[in-house]
Amino acid sequence: MSKERILKNIFVKGAIGAAFVGESIQKHSAQTSIGAHSIFLGQVRADLMDEKKVSAIEYTSYEPMALEKMHEIRAFIFAKYELTCMHVYHSLGKVNAGEISLFVFTSSAHRRAAIEACSETVELIKKELPVWGKEIFEDSSHQWKTNT
Amino acid sequence: MTTTVLLFGQLQEITSKHELQVNEMADTHTLLAELSRMYPAIATAKYMIAVDKQIISGNTKLKDGSTVALLPPFSGG
Repeated sequence: MSKERILKNIFVKGAIGAAFVGESIQKHSAQTSIGAHSIFLGQVRADLMDEKKVSAIEYTSYEPMALEKMHEIRAFIFAKYELTCMHVYHSLGKVNAGEISLFVFTSSAHRRAAIEACSETVELIKKELPVWGKEIFEDSSHQWKTNT
Repeated sequence: MTTTVLLFGQLQEITSKHELQVNEMADTHTLLAELSRMYPAIATAKYMIAVDKQIISGNTKLKDGSTVALLPPFSGG
């Protein structure tokens, strides 16, 4: 047995499908103390740069560090907000323009906690998780994404 | 004493390496000077440094078996 903590995995290979999001919502129907869900979906944008269009983003991560950091973010958010649960999924590998690459899902008894926790979690993920996006253009050239 | 260096994003692309082993590096300053000598583009690149998955600032002593990761600006989501 490894002595290392088993951290919850957040990474999925490729795009996050709409069916997966729908099933995640459905799974909560038995938890009747929940009164509010808040969901953030990040979608790959076909940005235009110097007349070249982004066709996909290829994501890589320093996974062991990212999972530790996500564990810290989760603990911070649960300490700050009255949440029932929280689920985070981030794509790795290639995600085409128009597809979903980030899914953050928070639930609480009342709306405010779910909405604010979801929003703050998204900000922390973008700022603190060691994940990199390589924007691939239609002509196969690329540039490294920068978060604003 | 061996240190593992992990390179990500642009730095992986610049060096064509994801992982390398270096010997006898006492601290992060010594290590970065050596890496910049091996790969001059590292000297001008923008990145943060994590030693054993913890982001550090300033010079940090390395132990045998430490993993040092060079992390370009994050762009997840």
